[in-house]
Amino acid sequence: MVNSKIAISTAAMIAIAAAWSGPASATGLSSNIVAEVAVETSAANVIQSMADQAMNELTDQSLADDVRRKKFVSLMDRYFAMDVVSRFVLGRYWRSISEAEIEEFSVLLQNYLALNYANQFKEFNGEQFVVGDETQKNKDTFVDSQFVRPDGPPVNIVWRMRMFDDSYKIIDVSIEGLSMGITQRDEFTSVIQQNNDDVGALTAALKAKTGL
Amino acid sequence: MLTACASTEPAQDTSDYDPLEPVNRVVHGVNGAVDFMVLYPAAMWYRDIAPEPVKTSVASFVRNINEPLNSFNALLQGDPDQAAASFQRFIMNSTIGLLGFNDVASDFGIPYRREDFGQTLAHYGIGGGPYIVLPLLGPSNLRDTAGIGVDYVANPLTWGAQNSDTAEALYLGSVGLTALHYRYATINQLNELQKSSIDYYAALRSLYRQQRNKMIRNGGPSPEFAVEDESASFDFDDAVEAASK
Repeated sequence: MVNSKIAISTAAMIAIAAAWSGPASATGLSSNIVAEVAVETSAANVIQSMADQAMNELTDQSLADDVRRKKFVSLMDRYFAMDVVSRFVLGRYWRSISEAEIEEFSVLLQNYLALNYANQFKEFNGEQFVVGDETQKNKDTFVDSQFVRPDGPPVNIVWRMRMFDDSYKIIDVSIEGLSMGITQRDEFTSVIQQNNDDVGALTAALKAKTGL
Repeated sequence: MLTACASTEPAQDTSDYDPLEPVNRVVHGVNGAVDFMVLYPAAMWYRDIAPEPVKTSVASFVRNINEPLNSFNALLQGDPDQAAASFQRFIMNSTIGLLGFNDVASDFGIPYRREDFGQTLAHYGIGGGPYIVLPLLGPSNLRDTAGIGVDYVANPLTWGAQNSDTAEALYLGSVGLTALHYRYATINQLNELQKSSIDYYAALRSLYRQQRNKMIRNGGPSPEFAVEDESASFDFDDAVEAASK
């Protein structure tokens, strides 16, 4: 949750900077500040800044694969509610392991996802990421976005976000209507079930995949 | 799991129901072997050799040959506008689109939408029932398998194939092209999934369910999220609550 504090203080600094620059017209200014803060904390803006950061840090082709994966993991740390995601993909089995084991699993999960997805940024060439509208449904905000490719139709990506301590965190990603969280949960719980409800079997498989 | 009674809401399955899993896993394995020997190499060859315009034409042809069924099922789902649109597409693309190899209807602003009898059943609230891996055809469920049977019988081309050699050749050709096209269209994603997954079978099963849910709600806004919240055994709210403890 350290990261969310940083995000909040960034917003505060922008607000203060805005206040500093024009102490003359007090009435017009206050609405300005509100607008600045609102823009900074909207769910769509969080996705935009994550995308900007990913494009900046991950697409450099000279980057070594393991460095790219590390950067991918730290992006997830910042923008995803990993404690929620880790429990979600374990389904009801999260109860059967200790807090320390969940922590270990969370690290494995991040490295596993980095292994599967980080390299996709290496081949970026002319693609664009466009953030669209956001919709509120129950407790969550869904941010629409499109991955526009030079060859082939655009890919629709929806980010499911929830507010934790005044900042939006990603809890699920859907690509063309297919939820990555649900797919991962269904797969992981199947692995656990196939091994007599032993979460250790899943952890071992993840270790083998990631080499951790 | 198989909701027999018809409700007004289209069915959206929220969890995998797989009582036949041991048999399904065996069929899945056999399918994989057959795929590896026949369809996969053909699709790889097609991907790497065939020029883009050919692929576009084949995709149009495969969609066009299915339009009578799309129209029929849209009608059964009480959507005459969509039925008319599919029929119109079929007439336009079969004539000025030269046997469906050109999708001129899309250029005229009539988009393609696939409707099959499995979706028609789901439209009237019938859930998927047990997951079934069909020999050669792959992931399905009880409802959609029944749907394949009805669509086969309802397909004008299969009637024609019994009476005319030309229709039979067209039918067999379309089956071959359909298989090639769909294998090609999914080849990169499936390669990726097979490489990255720990349980490929379970991942496919989940994706099949979600893909069908999406087709049943016609790609509209995803009430799946809401449904998932209410009835899944473990949902995002549970996870948030668990993490906050």
